[in-house]
Amino acid sequence: MKTVLKLAASAALCLGAFARPALAEDNIVKIGVVAAESGSFVSAGHTLPAGVGLAVKQINDAGGFKVGGKTYKLEMVKRDDRTDIATAIAATQELVRDVKVQAIFGSETHDFTLAMAKITQPAKIIHFAGNSTLAKILTPDSVKPGGEDHYLFQSEPQEFQRSGSTARGVLTLLEPLLGFKPKKSVMIVGNDATGQFLSSYYFKALKAEGQDVPDIIFYPPDTTDFSPFLTRAKSLNPDIIHFWYNGDSTLTALPQALELGAAKSYFLFGVDPGIWKEKQLSADVPVAMSCVPVCWGESSNPKAKTYFDAYFAAGAPHGVTSSVSLLYHDYVHFLVEAWQKADSFDPDKTVEALLSLHHQGVVSDDLTFNPTHQVTHATEVCAAAPGGDISCSMQQPPAEAPKS
Amino acid sequence: MSIAPKALRSLLPVLVILALIALVPLASPSNRFLSLAISAGINVIALYGLSVLFGQTGILSMGHAALVGVGAYASAILARDFGVGFWLALPVAAIASAVFAMIVGIPSLRVGGHHFVIMTFAFGQLVAIVLTNGGDYTGAATGLDLTDHVTLFDADMTDLTRYYLMVVAFVTAAAVASWAIIHSSYGRTLRAIRENEKLAASLGINVGRHKIGAFVVSGVFAGISGVLLAYFLGHISPSQFSSFPSIYLALMVMIGGARLIEGPLAGGILVAFLPEVLNLDPVQSRIVYGVCLIAVIMLLPDGLIGGIVRALRGLFAGKPKPETERETAPSEARQ
Repeated sequence: MKTVLKLAASAALCLGAFARPALAEDNIVKIGVVAAESGSFVSAGHTLPAGVGLAVKQINDAGGFKVGGKTYKLEMVKRDDRTDIATAIAATQELVRDVKVQAIFGSETHDFTLAMAKITQPAKIIHFAGNSTLAKILTPDSVKPGGEDHYLFQSEPQEFQRSGSTARGVLTLLEPLLGFKPKKSVMIVGNDATGQFLSSYYFKALKAEGQDVPDIIFYPPDTTDFSPFLTRAKSLNPDIIHFWYNGDSTLTALPQALELGAAKSYFLFGVDPGIWKEKQLSADVPVAMSCVPVCWGESSNPKAKTYFDAYFAAGAPHGVTSSVSLLYHDYVHFLVEAWQKADSFDPDKTVEALLSLHHQGVVSDDLTFNPTHQVTHATEVCAAAPGGDISCSMQQPPAEAPKS
Repeated sequence: MSIAPKALRSLLPVLVILALIALVPLASPSNRFLSLAISAGINVIALYGLSVLFGQTGILSMGHAALVGVGAYASAILARDFGVGFWLALPVAAIASAVFAMIVGIPSLRVGGHHFVIMTFAFGQLVAIVLTNGGDYTGAATGLDLTDHVTLFDADMTDLTRYYLMVVAFVTAAAVASWAIIHSSYGRTLRAIRENEKLAASLGINVGRHKIGAFVVSGVFAGISGVLLAYFLGHISPSQFSSFPSIYLALMVMIGGARLIEGPLAGGILVAFLPEVLNLDPVQSRIVYGVCLIAVIMLLPDGLIGGIVRALRGLFAGKPKPETERETAPSEARQ
């Protein structure tokens, strides 16, 4: 029994060692990042601290920012959620209650973000997340002052906008390469929260563009053998197979699709032309790609090259979804501008300022949040011709969601 | 049911450890620690149920997280559709999980061993698929939100320390319930089935009924764990209850030791905090867990706690005694 008591006492002492005092320093404003820097979502996750970190460096190198006559600098406090919801929640609790950050960015995983918002919103922490699925909770009631998501902002366009601009861009760029107007599309989609949500909008967007979409084929996440799904798609004789949404899975599926000759052309959502070039991919049919929101490998956006040069120079790896970093980088600058305009870190005044500002970012010269805290901007779509030439264009979003 | 003083003494170490764990907030731990501890505690409650199934009855389930999911979804749907709060959701969700557990348990009457492990794994996957494709009712792959707060005597339990203490109380209740089962004639019956099913049947034990009963009991623990999880996270989705979380639960109970009352507690804490303490990423964690599991299976068949107890006995008494001797033999089952 003595031994047991000793063991238990030691364990309690060890656990107590985790205790940490809250941090507080003058002239330093802490912003938190919760992202999957390891685990299955690392591909998109690592872009988040890289984008926020670059913005923090740019702001600090420029001498910081003034609020209430005092100059402040930013400090990014990042936490790896290990693609695990318990860790994401623990990290958010730590950032909000122990580190006492002024704002939180992340995560890229939809259900983690929703659970994180249950912590950030009651604590009045400004929370930015690049998940278009947030539309499910960002309603006029929930974002009004006193509403349960008043401090939550969606840094990605509403899905009908993103899907609409992507569908239009894909069809516009593929038509001249195919030599005819594509009429029939089949979607192959990862069957998870994000895939289900996104595909419902993209399906409507394709229909709105006059496409016949006989089937949406769902594959389980982490699928490596796509042949059953591709065989089903091929049997429908599509002009275009749209791989939606996971870029890593898409890169696994495409060679199998090309070998099978499943369609006359393909669309790869979330695959950057930079990866297409780096991996020296090629196809004997036209292949369209889209980026979230601007491509780094090839871009029609004049600011993109400068941004990505700085982004990669800071040590970020070239990734399928490196452009996702822009869903966070611009909003650090946007937030600082809001603090300056509000001349306060008060969360309510900051929300007011965020809703009234027109911010000049990399993604767009006119970034604004709508009344339900969602941003609007264009999406870049590119297409690789069978010869290897890649052309890109920024596609503006539709003004309204398709009726059906 | 008469409980021998020796049996009571076996509960004491766990109660002492849990009392010390309840004192942790006095050391002003970080909120990160408290949050991880709450998650670990919620897992431990489910593990106590799994230990009844695996440790006492000898049936390994690889779909236990799905039963936790049934409890979590039951509480979220009850709150959304009927305005049912936490305390009423607890028994209802426990019953729902118990009913599902009974359904999973029925095939165990016909198949056993590896085949049954595969069946429970398939059940876990099936639940995740049903939840993913359940439309608005289950929130599909996006899952369900739970905005209600837990209150106890008008106190809002949203505060992390309060929730932590509440989870510790539930873990204590689960440990005591598990201990009571182990030391009851019912527990002896389960162990008789575990040791020799045919012999137990020849002694007049209704093996099928007791096996399903063990599933039902483990389902109750899982359901309660699910309610606590849903209210803690405020949002649940199918991916939290698919095959990987089930494998982790089985891993935790095997590493800690399924047959001893301290095992689930040790397994749950170890697996929750090892990556944190050693700063392991998920890939490294899986390698470490894999190595631990192999080591436990080969060197410590009673789990980590069983091994420690045996080592301590060897050290202090000079006479190692197999941990399984603390349990009753099959012949005791009919006492």
